[in-house]
Amino acid sequence: MKSMVKKSLIGLGVSAALMGTSIAQAEIKIALAGPVSGPVAQYGDMQFIGAEMAIEQINKAGGVNGEKLVGVKYDDACDPKQAVAVANKIVNDGIKFVVGHLCSSSTQPASDIYEDEGIVMVTAASTNPDITLQGYQMIFRTIGLDSLQGPVAGRFIAEKVKPKNIAVIHDKQQYGEGIATAVKSTVEKAGYNVVMFEGITAGDKDFSALVAKLKKNNVDFVYYGGYHPELGLILRQSKELGLQSQFMGPEGVGNKDISSIAGPASEGLLVTLPPSFEKDPKNASLVQAFKDKNQDPTGPFVMPAYSAVQVMADSMKATGSTDSEEVAEYMHKTAFSTPIGNVKFDEKGDLTSFNFVVYNWHQDGTKSEAK
Amino acid sequence: MSDSIYYFIQQIANGLTIGSTYALIAIGYTMVYGIIGMINFAHGEVYMIGTYISFIVLAGLTMLGFDNVFIMVGLAMMVSIMIASAYGFTIEKVAYKPLRSSKRLIALISAIGMSIFLQNYIRLAQGSRDIAMPSLIQGGFLLGDPDGSHILISYMQVIIIVTTIICMAGLTLFISRSRMGRACRASAQDIGMTNLLGINSNNVIATTFIIGASLAAVAGTLLGMYYGVVNPYVGFIAGLKAFTAAVLGGIGSIPGAMLGGLLLGVSESLTAGYFTAEYKDVVAFSLLILILLFMPQGILGKPEVEKI
Repeated sequence: MKSMVKKSLIGLGVSAALMGTSIAQAEIKIALAGPVSGPVAQYGDMQFIGAEMAIEQINKAGGVNGEKLVGVKYDDACDPKQAVAVANKIVNDGIKFVVGHLCSSSTQPASDIYEDEGIVMVTAASTNPDITLQGYQMIFRTIGLDSLQGPVAGRFIAEKVKPKNIAVIHDKQQYGEGIATAVKSTVEKAGYNVVMFEGITAGDKDFSALVAKLKKNNVDFVYYGGYHPELGLILRQSKELGLQSQFMGPEGVGNKDISSIAGPASEGLLVTLPPSFEKDPKNASLVQAFKDKNQDPTGPFVMPAYSAVQVMADSMKATGSTDSEEVAEYMHKTAFSTPIGNVKFDEKGDLTSFNFVVYNWHQDGTKSEAK
Repeated sequence: MSDSIYYFIQQIANGLTIGSTYALIAIGYTMVYGIIGMINFAHGEVYMIGTYISFIVLAGLTMLGFDNVFIMVGLAMMVSIMIASAYGFTIEKVAYKPLRSSKRLIALISAIGMSIFLQNYIRLAQGSRDIAMPSLIQGGFLLGDPDGSHILISYMQVIIIVTTIICMAGLTLFISRSRMGRACRASAQDIGMTNLLGINSNNVIATTFIIGASLAAVAGTLLGMYYGVVNPYVGFIAGLKAFTAAVLGGIGSIPGAMLGGLLLGVSESLTAGYFTAEYKDVVAFSLLILILLFMPQGILGKPEVEKI
């Protein structure tokens, strides 16, 4: 009898101790929203590995205010409809911090929901300027805007390439058309003539008619605003149909899949990408951490996603709170030191400065800085 | 002057290439409709599966060290035809045969379900990303001045058009001359009556599905090599376009499907070539609406009462 009482007392003590730890170890959930499936899932992977690495390292260093961060993945498949469903699910799950979404067309509708529900959202990949134009307080990004990337590409075309006949093609989506329009206006301001400005349908496979038209107009430079599945096919069909032209695209085309789709035709493609953060000596140990896990730190969205998590975690630590409004307010007025450099947000939630660099793409999937 | 003629011929050639593959896929829709009067919405998925199989075979042969392109492509096409036919046959047995006596709407829903199932099954088995393959057949015929205005028709385009012509000729012979072809035509007129006359309509229907799936596999292999990429979603758009081609030509009519496919391909190509690529689908589908307004049975279809 006595031993039983003893045992149950010990039991009580143990469970009380367990309860105690579980209170101290409460979790701060961060939703990671982006495409797990669908044709641009490889960009989703970049964002996920970056964010997950940040969560892991922050937890290893003691977490945030004694609590652990937990990343929860949500798949929006880069589909605006699914993105809204995902955003509602995040609201229902009671999560107050989001890293995502990836595609601008998904981020836009989802951001409306987050702003209404007081959820902090930091996108590491959506570059369309419209997203932050609404004056939202909870929406941030750790990547540059198309309106920055377009002029960088446009200036490079006007100053370095100096082509005779420029064509600007886009995929009619928010991201592609936005950036294509920015490129067009930059080269036109520099006195160049854009002979073709046309949209194609995303998901289309046959571009032979378009290529024939480019040939007929003697186009020697094509800027494509969109993603790699379509540009890969355009490159491939251009080579087969004998179009001699230099191609250029935004960071949406800069990944290894374009080399596997277009093969030799991808050699020499010009791509504007965020700078190679992995080459920054300050990030050496972080790059090593990715390599130890057999992950690729070179993707354009890996470090921005890492920084997105870090900025939120730093703000939670500094305010000593997980209240999303307080955290957002702090994020607006503070500068952070992150793997993508010093991060400072303006009143719209955009970075105050961000550089894009023009790279030469190679058919083995590597890149080198273009001069 | 000659410049614009070259350009026109180039765009027609591009349109015929894509149009012939629409026609190959459209045959599957139109034959099934002709005989059992239902739209096999899973047909586009059979085309997609055909592409995947030919990619797998080609990759396998490359690994085994084959280097004769024609043997490789021939083998890939054969394996693709066999497996896709098996899919066509099984789809009919599993999803449509048990529903044959029920209302048409129910079979239609079963077809849509089958399509979603196959798309997701391939997505899970093969992943959702684009799978790419290097071009095996490069180069082409060049007419005119290589540095000035010229027409360039790639060997692959020629192969697609020629293979389509061979398949169409073979199918026309089969339908008009063979015993089974006669049974198909009879069943298309009155399936109940042919049953009474001692023709096994189950065999006829199974044959129809197998022919449709084989032609879709041929189109899948050819287009797979032409574009060099495949993903689990290609079947949906290809199926939609081929279905449009079948309706345009007159659903139930085999020559109609061929004509509809070519017409759709050429109209898309000319729109992209002379107007803008953005309006490609708008023009193609406006054409469909116009033709259906003035000729509800399609270009070569027989006027018929209420089948769907």
